[in-house]
Amino acid sequence: MTTAPGQTKSLYRHYIIEEYQLQKEPFYLPVHDEVQVFETAYKQKLPVLLKGPTGCGKTRFVEYMSYRLGQSLATVKPKGKGGAAAAAGNGKVGMPLVTIACHEDLTASDLVGRYLLEGQETKWIDGPLSRAVKTGAICYLDEIVEARKDTTVLIHPLTDHRRMLPVEKRGEILEAHDRFLLVISYNPGYQNALKDLKHSTRQRFISLEFDYSPREIESKVIEHESGVPADVAMNLAKLGEKVRHLKEHGLQEGVSTRLLIYAGKLIAGGIPPRRACQSAVVWALTDDAEVQRSIAEVVATIFA
Amino acid sequence: MQPTSEPGLPEALHRFPKTVYTEFQKGYDESSKRLAPDQVEAWAKAGVEIAEHSFRSWESATEYFRASPLVLPKLNFEQLMLWAQWGRSLAATSPIVSSAFFRATPEVLDRIPPETIGQWAGLGKGLYRSTWKSSSLAATFFESSPKLLQSVSLFEMEELVVFIDALAQKSYDLAAECLVLADSVFTKVDRADRKAFLGLASALARNNWRDVKPYFEHAPRAIYRVEKSQRPRYLALADRLARVSGVNVVTFLNESADALAEISPEDHAEMLGLAEQLAGAAPTAVGEFLRGLPTVLDRVRGEQLVQWFDEGLRLLKENEDGGMAFFRLESGRSEQLLEALSHGINLERVKEVLTMYCRALAGQDVELQATEILKERKIGWNSAEEATTEGSNIYLPVFIDRYNSKAENFSWFKVISTHQVAHLEFGSFAFSFDRPSAVYAGREQRHTRAPIVEGRHAISDLQRFFDSFTDRRLASDIFTLVEDGRIDHRVTVEYRGIAPAYRRVQGEAVAGRPAPNTLPLREAAMELLVRLSLEEVSPLAVPKAIALQLDAIKQVMRVMQSPLATIEDTAEATIRLYEVISRLPNVLQPDPEDQEQQGMEQESNEPDMEQLEKMLQDLMAQMSQGAGQPDGEQQKYESPQKIEFRGEFKPELVQALEQLRDKQKKGQGELDTKGVSPQDLKQMLEQSVELDLTDGQEGDLDQMAAAFVDNLMNQVSQEQQQRSGQGDHFPHVPDDDAPLSAKEPQAYLYDEWDFRATDYKPRWCRVRERRMEEGSTDFFENTLRTYSGLVSKIKKQFEMLAPESMRKIKHLPDGDEYDFDLVVESIIEKLAGDTPTDKVYWRRNKVERDVAVAFLLDMSASTAEAVDESRRQPDSGDFPDDPRDYMAWLRNRREEMSRRSYKRIIDIEKESTVLLITALEAIGDHYGIYGFSGYGRENVEFYVIKDLAERFGDSVKKRLDKITPMHATRMGPAIRHAVAKLDRQDARTKLLFLLSDGRPQDRGYSREGVEKEYAVHDTRKALIEARQKRITPFCLTVDRSGHDYLKTMCADMGYEVVTDIHSLPSRLPQLYRRLTV
Repeated sequence: MTTAPGQTKSLYRHYIIEEYQLQKEPFYLPVHDEVQVFETAYKQKLPVLLKGPTGCGKTRFVEYMSYRLGQSLATVKPKGKGGAAAAAGNGKVGMPLVTIACHEDLTASDLVGRYLLEGQETKWIDGPLSRAVKTGAICYLDEIVEARKDTTVLIHPLTDHRRMLPVEKRGEILEAHDRFLLVISYNPGYQNALKDLKHSTRQRFISLEFDYSPREIESKVIEHESGVPADVAMNLAKLGEKVRHLKEHGLQEGVSTRLLIYAGKLIAGGIPPRRACQSAVVWALTDDAEVQRSIAEVVATIFA
Repeated sequence: MQPTSEPGLPEALHRFPKTVYTEFQKGYDESSKRLAPDQVEAWAKAGVEIAEHSFRSWESATEYFRASPLVLPKLNFEQLMLWAQWGRSLAATSPIVSSAFFRATPEVLDRIPPETIGQWAGLGKGLYRSTWKSSSLAATFFESSPKLLQSVSLFEMEELVVFIDALAQKSYDLAAECLVLADSVFTKVDRADRKAFLGLASALARNNWRDVKPYFEHAPRAIYRVEKSQRPRYLALADRLARVSGVNVVTFLNESADALAEISPEDHAEMLGLAEQLAGAAPTAVGEFLRGLPTVLDRVRGEQLVQWFDEGLRLLKENEDGGMAFFRLESGRSEQLLEALSHGINLERVKEVLTMYCRALAGQDVELQATEILKERKIGWNSAEEATTEGSNIYLPVFIDRYNSKAENFSWFKVISTHQVAHLEFGSFAFSFDRPSAVYAGREQRHTRAPIVEGRHAISDLQRFFDSFTDRRLASDIFTLVEDGRIDHRVTVEYRGIAPAYRRVQGEAVAGRPAPNTLPLREAAMELLVRLSLEEVSPLAVPKAIALQLDAIKQVMRVMQSPLATIEDTAEATIRLYEVISRLPNVLQPDPEDQEQQGMEQESNEPDMEQLEKMLQDLMAQMSQGAGQPDGEQQKYESPQKIEFRGEFKPELVQALEQLRDKQKKGQGELDTKGVSPQDLKQMLEQSVELDLTDGQEGDLDQMAAAFVDNLMNQVSQEQQQRSGQGDHFPHVPDDDAPLSAKEPQAYLYDEWDFRATDYKPRWCRVRERRMEEGSTDFFENTLRTYSGLVSKIKKQFEMLAPESMRKIKHLPDGDEYDFDLVVESIIEKLAGDTPTDKVYWRRNKVERDVAVAFLLDMSASTAEAVDESRRQPDSGDFPDDPRDYMAWLRNRREEMSRRSYKRIIDIEKESTVLLITALEAIGDHYGIYGFSGYGRENVEFYVIKDLAERFGDSVKKRLDKITPMHATRMGPAIRHAVAKLDRQDARTKLLFLLSDGRPQDRGYSREGVEKEYAVHDTRKALIEARQKRITPFCLTVDRSGHDYLKTMCADMGYEVVTDIHSLPSRLPQLYRRLTV
């Protein structure tokens, strides 16, 4: 059904979802001991909850960990010929990572699987969660609070000692592969009564709190990711720090590392710094003219 | 000579009372000395003729004879006869007048030439109109003449009489009064202006004679305030206005002169020119124009002023009310135009932007405020012009107009606020005595220095530090310069973007400074330190005697440029510089030519601390020996000239404040040994050079320090209160048109709509937001119990609203999932040969509620009325306009209320709110509940019962309990404030629900206090503004006569009049449901 990369010459690359692995080590600078905690949790088969504001590196962290765990464990032998060929290319790949972006229309079937009609018959198709459970991937449910509560309940049996996924429609129970790990993330920032994590869900995970990195680390990240010189990266990190002070004083969220990297990329691409920050930071953050002007003044103070 | 020799005459006099004869005899003696016999005879005859003229004219004759001896020396015979003749003819009219005439003559003759006596007499006679009153006026004229003529010429007197005559036609009493006043008035009016002054007076006498007296009383002072050469012009203008109805000249003079006095005299001519121009178009606007001038001229001049003026003129022709408001500076257009034309920047305008800017840089909740506020608190900061900080907030001057462009002025604002923020960001106030320095690590000297006074308890670390210097002022000056220099350097390094603006300001600061070689040596060294701290690099002529010291200062300052340097390093640098500079005698360089050019650039390589310390020691040793130091007279040390952009820096005070704040936070203990005692504080204040206690009365140092201690303590406890949201201020009533400011926290200014002028009155109303006090939860619980049936019904209704959104919809051509029953059906149909249905999908209904709603409860006094008709007291709904009456009225009302046992409108409002809350909680909408009331435009109170972002809980229940009728109903600003809150919400549907019991009304919420439409129109405008922000307003009133004004107020918006107030609790949730589905 799906063609693995390299098999045919196509204009794009695509992977079977559970076979997607990182080929290269993602760049990640640990701030504290989060790497050790995560590794231990993985070994002890404890599901992990990542908390933190948008764009602070939660997803990157999961990618990095999937790669790292892939290195320390025996290399997974992916199913399918193409996948094997690709993996055999360098032998150094991460473990499979299944990322699911949660949204309010995400249904149980979207996760577990559904019947499709094929001719006169129905055919069962596994959903991404089922696949991850079967193959032993890290399943990363991003922005879990966006999913409806009835959907979230579905993952409960996977998160305790049972480690299993009931597939109601087929009358089956899937037992999780040994390597399987469930990771979810959410952003407590725009928390409100309706979009909060239920306690029955939340207390099934160990939590790692993320925040924007300190100026020094963030500037290294920006430097690495965007390719700007160190001093520019430092100024961007400084800008980040200053703008984050405005959280709750005009801004709902501080500026993300991601946006700062974008700004860096624009600068690296030849856009003058003030203009780059205007596009990537000032206008991106808010529509309020006064707040925009204030941030623009901060930008003008930092960048010549 | 014997009188008997003229037998006829005395004989005739014997017929009159004896005094006549007595006086005659006295006069006769004198006249016989001066006149020929026949002349004496003529003189006497004239007297007799007067006496015989009419029934009481003997009195005049008496005066005639009595005055004669005094007059004789001054008049020749003909003149004397003429005088007598005048007297006789006056006696013909009235003996009183004639008497007054004679009586006044001797003195009058001292002032006017004798030949003009007829002229003078004629003036008096002219006032006589053959009535009793006119005779008394004429008499008054003569009586006041001697005094009057001291200040007035006869010629001017003629003018005065013309005026008095004109006035007399309206009121004799007033005319007489003015005559008496005239002399004191004229002494105050310059000779050159008198004609115009009287001309205007006559004009007034004709048109508005009642104004004449106030005019007499006030005008001289007014005229005096106008520039001399412009006074005739000014009076001519007033004259012109006096002829127009609707202008009160006296008010005009008073106000316009006050305004003119505030602006520079050189501008008077130009401004009067504009005023004249305006007088042609709209005389009534002239006063407004002149009154606003001081404000306007602060912002625009010359070309721009004319532009602004022309716009106003144009507007006047279009819409008179609008034009008037324009010149009154009560219109948005006027404000905007001024803003656009002006180069200057008001703090108010940039406050928000700069506040956020400062918060971003500082990383703490700094507020930006006007420096005046800090000054008013009297806690040690005395300047209203200089930027400063007291450790938590930043204070800036209210208006900046240094440069000829807005951009440059803003840049100045930015630089001065950056400097203050940098104090916070880079820890100027975080000095710790025990924390090691960074660049001077391991070389600290402060620990080994002995305090000057042993055993004193220092409040703050800085005080402890400064305690080790004999010359505290010098130490403090050095400390300030080093620290400011460190901060500024850090800013320009850390913030490259602002560096150019900073350099410019630094450069300008250097420009006006005294040359070091003109100063005594110690001050010269300080001046060099100033320049180094400003990073001034151009070479400078330096007295040779301090060349070595300069080198040392340079190196110490170079060290401070290290990015590592902290406030503790500043302290170390201060010690070293102090040791060098204090050893310099403050004497003038003996030979001013003995100087050398010195480069001021700093070396680029990192300084070697070892070498620096050694060099300083050598220098000190050398100086102690007195080598190369000139002798001369020691001069008193003067602190270096201030550097404007740096404002005031008072670290010692800030640290003391911090200590107090800490103490306040920890506990309320009045005195504790470890913390700050008032005595310690007082001692510190007396010691510190940051507080200029000597400014006031000498000798009261003790008292003043004590006052400062009180103020400081108050300051801290107030801050505490503000943080906890307490602190009640009772409304104060400002002048009617004074501009408002929102300097205090939680105060917001809003425009108000003037429908006549079709323009906003800018920043017209002040809304004070505060949390409602908390009572008990009983009210809430009781209401739920009382209405338990309704509650569960409402709850059910609302809960049903929510699940609707999740319902499955089947039989769809596409959707989330197959409905397997339908799929099977379809397959069967197909197999059976039918056309299979393709509607085999289902999906969930995706209607999602995303509602934010703000409820505005009217808490006006009228909501205290009983619901029950029979108990309703007659109440006009109006309340006294005068604040004092109002307070009395309020007290009565409150007393009445406390005795009540009936249900009031507000109670029903509250109950309805309770029910609504349960409904809203069931459905999960975002909602805020607010109450509003107030008295006057400067005190619109906005009570938060539940903020939009707040969660429902016990405190909300408790606050609900405390809702009670307060003052008036100024709806506009309350709506605008609620709209501003809603506008910040991120919801698809936004609602503003206004619950009131009557029309909007408030003191001054109408024009001239009569037009009720004013309030209605403003409210309507506020509702329209809400709609423009995609907020749906809805008005609900329990006022049965509500239809008439609600129709205007909410013409095309939703409103409802609830006729039976008892239905409100059930009606409100119902309405809400209908509105939001």
